[in-house]
Amino acid sequence: MPSDSNSTSSNYSSGRDDENPNSDPNSKPEPQLEPEPEPEPEPEPNKNPHLIDQSLDALENQLASISMSSRSPTVTFEGEEEDDVESREQPKSMNGSFSEEIEAGGDADSLEVGRHFESDSKAESSGVNGENISFTWLDAPEVDEVERPLSPGSSGYAGEMGSTSGGDEIVDDDEDDSDIRGVENDGVLGSNNQSVSGKRHADEDDASVSWRKRKKHFFILSHSGKPIYSRYGDEYKLAGFSATLQAIISFVENGGDRVNLVRAGKHQVVFLVKGPIYLVCISCTEEPYESLKGQLELLYGQMILILTKSVNRCFEKNPKFDMTSLLGGTDAVFSSLIHSLSWNPATFLHAYSCLPLAYATRQAAASILQDVAGSGVLFALLMCKHKVISLVSAQKASLHPDDILLLSNFIMSSESFRTSESFSPICLPRYNPMAFLYAYVHYFDIDTYVVLLTTSSDAFYHLKDCRIRIEIVLSNSNVLSEVQRSLVDGGMRIEDLLVEPTSRAGAVSSHLGQPRPGAGTPGRTADGSIGIGGPAGLWHFVYRSIYLDQYVSSEFSPPINSLRQQKRLYRAYQRLYASMHEKAIGPHKTQFRRDENYVLLCWVTQDFELFAAFDPLADKALAIKVCNRVCQWVKDVENEIFLLGASPFSW
Amino acid sequence: MGCASSAPERSAGQIGGVNLDNGGANDPKNLKVKLVLLGDSGVGKSCIVLRFVRGQFDPTSKVTIGASFLSQTIALQDSTTVKFEIWDTAGQERYAALAPLYYRGAAVSIIVYDITSPESFHKAQYWVKELQKHGSPDIVMALVGNKADLNEKREVPTQDGIDYAEKNGMYFIETSAKTADNINQLFEEIAKRLPRPAPPS
Ligand SMILES: Nc1nc2c(ncn2[C@@H]2O[C@H](COP(=O)(O)OP(=O)(O)OP(=O)(O)O)[C@@H](O)[C@H]2O)c(=O)[nH]1
Ligand SMILES: [Mg+2]
Repeated sequence: MPSDSNSTSSNYSSGRDDENPNSDPNSKPEPQLEPEPEPEPEPEPNKNPHLIDQSLDALENQLASISMSSRSPTVTFEGEEEDDVESREQPKSMNGSFSEEIEAGGDADSLEVGRHFESDSKAESSGVNGENISFTWLDAPEVDEVERPLSPGSSGYAGEMGSTSGGDEIVDDDEDDSDIRGVENDGVLGSNNQSVSGKRHADEDDASVSWRKRKKHFFILSHSGKPIYSRYGDEYKLAGFSATLQAIISFVENGGDRVNLVRAGKHQVVFLVKGPIYLVCISCTEEPYESLKGQLELLYGQMILILTKSVNRCFEKNPKFDMTSLLGGTDAVFSSLIHSLSWNPATFLHAYSCLPLAYATRQAAASILQDVAGSGVLFALLMCKHKVISLVSAQKASLHPDDILLLSNFIMSSESFRTSESFSPICLPRYNPMAFLYAYVHYFDIDTYVVLLTTSSDAFYHLKDCRIRIEIVLSNSNVLSEVQRSLVDGGMRIEDLLVEPTSRAGAVSSHLGQPRPGAGTPGRTADGSIGIGGPAGLWHFVYRSIYLDQYVSSEFSPPINSLRQQKRLYRAYQRLYASMHEKAIGPHKTQFRRDENYVLLCWVTQDFELFAAFDPLADKALAIKVCNRVCQWVKDVENEIFLLGASPFSW
Repeated sequence: MGCASSAPERSAGQIGGVNLDNGGANDPKNLKVKLVLLGDSGVGKSCIVLRFVRGQFDPTSKVTIGASFLSQTIALQDSTTVKFEIWDTAGQERYAALAPLYYRGAAVSIIVYDITSPESFHKAQYWVKELQKHGSPDIVMALVGNKADLNEKREVPTQDGIDYAEKNGMYFIETSAKTADNINQLFEEIAKRLPRPAPPS
């Protein structure tokens, strides 16, 4: 795994242990994480594991020569507007414009940094010659002139306009959506603060300084180079840029290869090809390639959820088919998904999380859903925001965690579902990417909603009836008020992790969701002092149950209390996750790394994966002890934090 | 919390997948009718419905997904009541093919355009033709020019609406969901035009 080259770690260490003597997960007692000898530093990974074939070399040369043209650090952003205007007529400077995109926002020093390519196959394609290259390259933008069709009434969905004045810093828009200078937003708990409505900064295009400084771009385009979606800026204005991306992809594909990753200075350009649809991420966030690729997969899945894969047929009939109109009004869905990439661990864990609830409460919900599922409902989900209260599926059908994520994102980001009950076609990409299901959606209160999915397009009145029955049971058994209570003080708080594990037994069911002193003021411990985390410097943890496809994460508390810190921690987990998953997992696997921000500990068994963050000065042996205790704690409260005994999730 | 409900009353013999859809109930004093709104995205279908059902106007755009279902009952002069079961459909292009799902069996259709948008007027005519071909044969149709408050930006002359509606045997009215102008009139007028079931002898 390409270790984070950015790592400023002064004291990085990593260890893997595949030979743990306690490795049988089924044997009692529970597996214990043992302190181990201070491990060897991870060997410098091979940065270039793949053969770089000649066609890629040729492309690299192209990029290199392009990048020379803007080499001078003083070029920066002056006069770029003009450059880009010219580029509309002169393909040559358009190439220049692409390299500037890659370098946008990066410091000038990084311009000469080597870029490298990774490719799926190692096929030789030496037949490609330079002239062909430039032909494809130069021709594409002219072929794909896009005139903007006027669609009446669509103007209302353009979304808010962003400022175009740019500061000097790269703008990371995940935290602060309103201001181009995107400074730190120290609000608490990202998940509650989404204010995504339509596209942001729609006035930007690739000529805007602000656009170039965005830290992370996402694009969807068609194989003919037509823009379909762009995170920032208006798709139509980005037609030229889109054509350039298309040219790179098709150039490499023509050589029998598939371009996956281009590195250019601080930027990574990740490509994902899905039939006639190309997805591209340009990022200087230093996330691992595998993570960015996973994010593109989710983006694609979200699109399939809205349109199904049969949209591909439109391209068979007309390769130049313009798909943007089919996604009309869905900008908020995509921006909300992209936003959740930085606060929702479900996006990289491929697991879902449950709202913590007393077992009997969840059971009450489950049994009425079960009842309903017996009457022609394929899936019934009761959700609170992005968390599951209960879910049930008919017979053998199973719901993939990614589908839950995409479905809840779609529903929560589409405001109209809150107005009244709805009946809408929805495709679950992991269940069946080719066909629509029909979703009945109804909000019981501002956070809690039910989704009933069926294959029958005329089941509305039946589903409405089911919902009424569900509603009666929920209100008779106080489920909705318990849900609201859990939102306020449910969840696992590291301050509550007791030093002596034995004292927890028996007190379990009264523990979670119980009002406690200082509840509502995160970070306040029982004695009223400002929290400094859990025992042994524990700051946060995420526990993923492999059998259940579910995870639980501790509530955030100081010192991890700003959105920026939360996001940074999730990114660290994500890197850890990627590094743990790149090889076949042995029975036990551990990783312990220390840098200036955290001690991160990861423990993977056949049953679970634990990610824990500690104070950077935490003692290793103590940290390991605390991790064992966290696992025990999770076991103790598992019937409150997980949905147990749900229909089988194996597929 | 109480867990009395962990054994919820099972309503055995519940309908399974049966479509309870009906265009109009047969009690002549208490009519129940299925009504569908069609028209381009952004013309104000949802705003018209929310104005009629809840008396509200929310200027922030909430593009409809699939279709929303709402109902509202009105009382007429002759002491009959009409319960409208309203399908507010999504005008986004990707849902066009699914429209039959929602207008099937509808007794009333309201086809909406935006008086500031000739394209939406054009789209309205498409929907009229579609319903003439595939809608219920005795469907009551209304053509509505919405956003009448934006008269200074008007691009579809009132007369064009009147003429087109007359040619196609439709009721015509211009409304404003924003100011509530003509919203109640629209629904009352439709209610009056409904075919009444013969009173039981
Ligand atoms: N000035 C004015 N604006 C209106 C009126 N009715 C609706 N609007 C605005 O038009 C926009 C779209 O209205 P919607 O009711 O969401 O449009 P729709 O026809 O339901 O659109 P879809 O759900 O996408 O099919 C909103 O931003 C409203 O504020 C009106 O009578 N006058
Ligand atoms: Mg609407």
